Amino acid sequence: YPLFQRGGPQLRIFRPNFFMLLVRPGVPQPEDTVQFRVSMEMTKVDIRNYLEKIYNVPVAAVRTRIQYGANNKRNHRNQRVKKPDYKVAYVQLGQGQTFQFPNLFPEKEQDAETRSFDDFRDKFMEKEKQKQEGDPRRGGVPDWFGL
Amino acid sequence: MASLRVRRLLGPSRRWFSETVPGAPSPPASPLYPPVVASITAKSKAAKSRRLQRFNQRVHAAATVEEKLRLYGKLQRPKYTVYPQTFALNADRWYRSFTRTVLVPGMPPRAAAAKRSVAAAGATPEAGRAPEPGVEAPAAAEAPGPAKTPEPAAGAAPYVDIGDLRSLACDALLQESFYQKKKRPFLYRDQDHTPGPFLTQLVSTLAASLSGRNPLLAASSLDLNPEVNYYWHHGEEVVLHGHRKGRVDPVRFQIDDNPHLQIRVPKQLPEVVPLESDLGDVPVIDHKPSKLPLFKKQYENKVFIGSKVADPCCYGHTQFHLLPDKLKRERFIRERLEDQIEVVYRSNGIASLFAWTAAQAMYQGFWSEADVTRPFVSQAVVTDGKYFAFFCYQLNTLALTAETIKNNPRKNICWGTDSKPLYDVVEDGNVKGFNDEVLLQLVLFLLNRPKEL
Repeated sequence: YPLFQRGGPQLRIFRPNFFMLLVRPGVPQPEDTVQFRVSMEMTKVDIRNYLEKIYNVPVAAVRTRIQYGANNKRNHRNQRVKKPDYKVAYVQLGQGQTFQFPNLFPEKEQDAETRSFDDFRDKFMEKEKQKQEGDPRRGGVPDWFGL
Repeated sequence: MASLRVRRLLGPSRRWFSETVPGAPSPPASPLYPPVVASITAKSKAAKSRRLQRFNQRVHAAATVEEKLRLYGKLQRPKYTVYPQTFALNADRWYRSFTRTVLVPGMPPRAAAAKRSVAAAGATPEAGRAPEPGVEAPAAAEAPGPAKTPEPAAGAAPYVDIGDLRSLACDALLQESFYQKKKRPFLYRDQDHTPGPFLTQLVSTLAASLSGRNPLLAASSLDLNPEVNYYWHHGEEVVLHGHRKGRVDPVRFQIDDNPHLQIRVPKQLPEVVPLESDLGDVPVIDHKPSKLPLFKKQYENKVFIGSKVADPCCYGHTQFHLLPDKLKRERFIRERLEDQIEVVYRSNGIASLFAWTAAQAMYQGFWSEADVTRPFVSQAVVTDGKYFAFFCYQLNTLALTAETIKNNPRKNICWGTDSKPLYDVVEDGNVKGFNDEVLLQLVLFLLNRPKEL
């Protein structure tokens, strides 16, 4: 390929491994902050352009850090196994937008049948437990003790 | 028999139980054992509270203010450094929650009443000022009649000549930006090149010319690039890492500020509203300060107003802040963050003024356990060379620690305006679009004085 100079024809296309993964924050974040795991080669400028141009999300500020993956676990051969490093980006949205990570596993509403079945099951288990235990008046002393 | 011999062995001086000498005083009823209190060195909450009480007693019992400040900031631990001039988004909301400040838009009412009288005096044409000073004064006194403020009208009767001051300001501006031959500014040093010297020149000439009207300015001290520091605790958190993991610690903050100019005076400015007034709400933010982002560092816990404790000018009058190149308007507009422009001015005003007034209060011996008995008032002007924003701060309480804030209904109050341009453009030796209101507000700030003077 001929050497590229500004204004010349673009003959090569670069396809860097740029990905962004929206994650639930481990610690509570302010309402306008969204947390991503991004590729290690992405910079703050790359993250801003990615969100603004591909997804039309207004970005006010981006802060990044690199999370070191620990190297303490050992496999069956006593070799150290490393967890991979990854970059975390905290993106503050512009124009007063807010974001809350959704609850991906909501509790399903139980209809009357399942609720009554659950109640019946709980009562049955309680009765079984009481049968297993001895007389409460004996204060926990086993029944083989005595005359 | 034996008892008689025992009695003789005891001797005549010994008193037997039945032979109490009448008239001898009974011993004072002091407790036989020392009081049962919690330990001092144990890892328990009772021990911690006892250590805190001993520390508080030591600070209360300190003889001088220097000793109090030394004991107050003796223990060094990691603390959040709060920067008044910050690019963080929505910083003014966070700063208001750290300092328990209520933001009231616009200037306090007494300034508005004085403004009307001075504006009426200044608006009457300056051309006819020389031959008819006697006519102007009653006209000025009549104009704010319905305002019902006799003192500012009587005080402004020797009225302020806006034309003179406008020419002073224009002279300073033209000298710095047009007449003086300067090389191109170094990269990212635009503010030190023109607006910095212009601000210094403007303030010093205005203060000098107004010191005839305001005797407080005549006794004041103008600092160039002073340092203002304050250290305080607010809220509690659990220590996460290290040998102190799991313990409950107060959240420590430190402000280190360098205003461009500062005027310190020997007498305190009068209070704007009574000490216990409630003018709004303080924002409550549940998140840790590090989400702002704010970072922790451990260094000297300094409390300083710009001069040491022995200086007679120990009260603050006005501060002047110059915004750095990093926070200029064009940058915010380019990144489509127009709403953050005002946030920058507000956060600078609130943080700097809180640090200054609180440090002044500490210089008078008040601290978080000994809350202020009178409000401390200071003013500030935040500018980037062209746009001016005015702030007035009243410190009502220093008790911001987790213990003392529980029963504390007082809040600090900050009045602030939006940024307005002083002029539109400077070209060919002329200042186009000069804004008199901004100059008027600046003059009123400088003329502010206690009622006795």
